[in-house]
Amino acid sequence: MRNILKRLTSRHWLFITVSGCLLAGFEFLLCAMVSTVDIVGAFSELTKTFPLFLRTLIEQQLFGVMSTAGILAFGWNHPITLALGTAIAIVLASRTVAGEIESGTLELIMSQPISRREYLTGHIIFAFFSLSFISLLGAGGTLLGQYVYDFQAFRVPSLFQLIVNYCLLNAAWYGITLLISVYGREAGRVATIGFLLALISYFLNVIGQLWDKAGFLLPYSLHTYYSPKQILVENIFPTLNLTLLSILTIITISAAYWKFLRRDLP
Amino acid sequence: MLTLVINDLSKDYGRTHALRHVNLTIEEGEVFGYLGPNGAGKTTTLRIALGLVHPTSGSVEVLGNSPFVLSSRVDIGYLPGELNLYGNLTAGALLDYFAGFRPHHPPFLRKTLFEVLSVDESDLLRRVKFLSHGTKQKLGLIIAMQHDPKLLLLDEPTNGLDPLVQKSLREFLKERAQLGRTVFFSSHVLSEVELLCRRVAILRAGKLVAVESIENLRRKMVRQLRIRFRGSVPGNIAQQESVVHSEIVGNEIRLLIRGDINPLLKLLGQTDIEHIVFPEPELEDIFLTYYHSRNEGGIA
Repeated sequence: MRNILKRLTSRHWLFITVSGCLLAGFEFLLCAMVSTVDIVGAFSELTKTFPLFLRTLIEQQLFGVMSTAGILAFGWNHPITLALGTAIAIVLASRTVAGEIESGTLELIMSQPISRREYLTGHIIFAFFSLSFISLLGAGGTLLGQYVYDFQAFRVPSLFQLIVNYCLLNAAWYGITLLISVYGREAGRVATIGFLLALISYFLNVIGQLWDKAGFLLPYSLHTYYSPKQILVENIFPTLNLTLLSILTIITISAAYWKFLRRDLP
Repeated sequence: MLTLVINDLSKDYGRTHALRHVNLTIEEGEVFGYLGPNGAGKTTTLRIALGLVHPTSGSVEVLGNSPFVLSSRVDIGYLPGELNLYGNLTAGALLDYFAGFRPHHPPFLRKTLFEVLSVDESDLLRRVKFLSHGTKQKLGLIIAMQHDPKLLLLDEPTNGLDPLVQKSLREFLKERAQLGRTVFFSSHVLSEVELLCRRVAILRAGKLVAVESIENLRRKMVRQLRIRFRGSVPGNIAQQESVVHSEIVGNEIRLLIRGDINPLLKLLGQTDIEHIVFPEPELEDIFLTYYHSRNEGGIA
């Protein structure tokens, strides 16, 4: 398994590090923005021109609490932040089995003295390490921003809870895509399905939040179980969300093991 | 000791029967040829022996164990028929990567294999994707053999190798066999199997047509002979003992012959021949051999 981990690190370190730095840079820039511009005031002025229903909708659903912490929390829910984590989860999962079959390398690898369980475990460990690494870099960006611009919107324990939630959301996407990957033969197709599911989930979440009548859609979106606002602004530990994301990750990864141990290769 | 035992092995992919009731035993130190046209089921057999594919029925024992037992895979070297390697690694890093799967079996044959396969060591610093097809094939062979495995499963190993390297590889494999290593050599090229193997199994459409020693195969093999005469075809040619089948079209006769052809050649020496074609036997001739044997009453 050490061999697999070494290979994955040498193959993906640049992609993972650049993605992590982008996330850190983005969160740092948000800190810079909220500290140097009165965004809260500006936004309040701006929304005064909106019709009442729209103002209420935006204030309640997007920013929740019009504060520095609220805007930073929104930064952790921004499509760029979500896309970076999801992209890493989906790319790694799609390459694990379908990608290696497509490139024709899996046959030679699996003819070596390494069990299928070890192979898959090596990939899963690497993926979880990568997702934790980029989350930590992102959190580092927020902490550095708070330190450099001399304000403290929230403390380290809250930020830690947030990255656990962020990691689990991406781990769930990893598990779902891995399950598709062990049935597949083409990484591109597997990744496309993964991205489509993530996109659908995101839109279900947005529509469910913006339109009351579509609220019934919310439980069907994974993004509903990722709640930076709840953690950072309302200081509520989202036990249920974390539990659900963990269960989904465990189920999908277990199913992936089950299938991979039984399927014909390549 | 038996290195590979295949017992009533069948594999179906949906409605396609890739293998049907294949039985084989291969002894330690044997160089065994596995012959068949593309799609005959050779690769499926190898993949089952490596635990990559699950058989529909039957069983395989490799080095005394099930193919799914990892410890025996340490002593197996495998070259896939369709070799794909990590293109972004350098050749040297690639060899080290595969050697890393056997930390207790150092790749001590690597240097020897560089010489046997005429690998330019400067290529080791180049990325695999920039190497020629032949060099990639050599890397695949080194990956399979660098740890000196007890059992070598080689699927079309001479693909892309020049004749000199093929010859040197054959000699190397014979040497390893003398040291007790077993070589399972899958190919669709009859001539290279003839040059290397002592015994051969012939597979067609998932069924074993025959398992023979090379000597027996040569003796039994039906071969084609086409002769065009200046005049009409002499009537006594088709009656020769070695002629299995004959077909006359105008001045030309097409013969299927087997066994001692000297009497036939002497007879032909007395005739006026315009043109004669006696091609190298090919895989199809072997199938012809066994179909004729069957028609004459069972496999010979």
